[in-house]
Amino acid sequence: MTDYLQDPALWGLVVGTPLAAATIYRARKSNVKLRKERAELETRHHELESNFSEAVDDARLRAEEATKTALKSAMRTLQGLANEQQLAISKIQDKYGDQGILQDLLGIDHMNSQFGRRAQSVAVLCDGWLGRARSVASVYDVARSAKGRIRHYTRVEIRSQTNFAIISQAVEPVALVLAELLDNATSYSSPEAAIEINIRTVPKGVCVIIDDAGVGMNEEEKTRAQRLLSGENPVGVTELGNPPQFGFAVIGVLAARYGFSVSVDSSSPYGGVRAVVLLPQELLTSMPEPQEPTESEYLADEEVEATGTTAGGLPKRRRRGAIAIVPTGDSANSAAGRSSEETASIMGAFQRGTQSGRTQSGRSTEPSREGHDVQ
Amino acid sequence: MTTPSDDDLEPPVDPLEPEYVELVRPYVITNGRDVSDTSRFELITLVTAADDTQRKAHLDPEKRELVTLCEGGYLSVAEIAGHLKLPVGIVKVLLVDLVENGLILTRRPIPPAQLADIQVLQEVLDGLQARFG
Repeated sequence: MTDYLQDPALWGLVVGTPLAAATIYRARKSNVKLRKERAELETRHHELESNFSEAVDDARLRAEEATKTALKSAMRTLQGLANEQQLAISKIQDKYGDQGILQDLLGIDHMNSQFGRRAQSVAVLCDGWLGRARSVASVYDVARSAKGRIRHYTRVEIRSQTNFAIISQAVEPVALVLAELLDNATSYSSPEAAIEINIRTVPKGVCVIIDDAGVGMNEEEKTRAQRLLSGENPVGVTELGNPPQFGFAVIGVLAARYGFSVSVDSSSPYGGVRAVVLLPQELLTSMPEPQEPTESEYLADEEVEATGTTAGGLPKRRRRGAIAIVPTGDSANSAAGRSSEETASIMGAFQRGTQSGRTQSGRSTEPSREGHDVQ
Repeated sequence: MTTPSDDDLEPPVDPLEPEYVELVRPYVITNGRDVSDTSRFELITLVTAADDTQRKAHLDPEKRELVTLCEGGYLSVAEIAGHLKLPVGIVKVLLVDLVENGLILTRRPIPPAQLADIQVLQEVLDGLQARFG
């Protein structure tokens, strides 16, 4: 026993064990502390990370909004000019209708329509102005209007007519959607191939079917198109790609906003794409019977007399509205097609406009109109 | 003096606004046809609807309106253009189509030269010269 007492190893063990125990205990303690710190750091890191991505998203959104605002304002100016020009062209066409220059004027008119449509498409993506309010128009006329807004319009054949008409608020959006579809159809098919439009009445409303004889779309393109057309995740102006592809994005936004559906997932009998626009009953109204104009013509004649004559003794002509079939009550028509909420919102906009005009002092942070910044 | 533009909302529509851009442009109505090749029609060419107007239901709205307009009797090209509010050149293209389809009949205005026979005038002149000349 005493041997052991003399053994330095024992003493070493006696002293060493508590020391080691103390060290291990301390190390454990610091380990726990470190682990805690690490966990804290980790949460902090996550916090920072999410803050950062939030900030990035925020900045992206703000940049998107700023781009939209600038583009919207620029497009509004362009759209106004295109409209003004169209009116001017109409007047010259009437004036020189019997002369050789008419052919050239029609060409200029066509170019102006395309120009206006492009500006309109960008405006739609920026939640901007869609264009002037229209009167109720037949589906056939809306399709023809759409046809006139693309470059190769002579290739488009409209095969059928219906007695259905589109309500005034939806005329311009539907025309724009059809124009974008026709533009795609003509761009992705050979220069001689015809594009066919068929208008069909279905239980849910009216279908406008556009068939092309083009190359069609692969699965990937179809998926992308269907995603954009659904309008569920609207594409920002900054995500259109280079060169930017407006068509499907514009269609998606309009279809979602006005409540109709567009699909391009079937193929046409000619091998290309078949685009189907389904207009629900809510967007439709009936068209007066085509036989009626005889009666309204007399009404129109009476009206011409009522508006008086020019200095030269010729009857003064009234400009017609968008549809010629019923020349009377054009403005009454558009007024009737407006709901009370719409009237209220229009009046509200008018009031806000005049108010901001009155309160606008010499200094304003917002430009009143693109190109005329108030300093 | 600048009026502020409220871009977020559609501008108020003035119901009395007299000018309105047509929805269907004239070049679409003619489907891009050449409007200069319509020399057979003059402003005073008279046209009327053929008896067989049953087929007009399948026509474009403008052509249908034109045929309906002419059912009552003869109208000049200028008058039709006035009623349809279309440029004269466009109306002529529509008329060319309708005449080809047999839905519209034309009657050329009587040329002024046919009102008096030049030969008769010459004979009168000869007679006068023989007697007094």
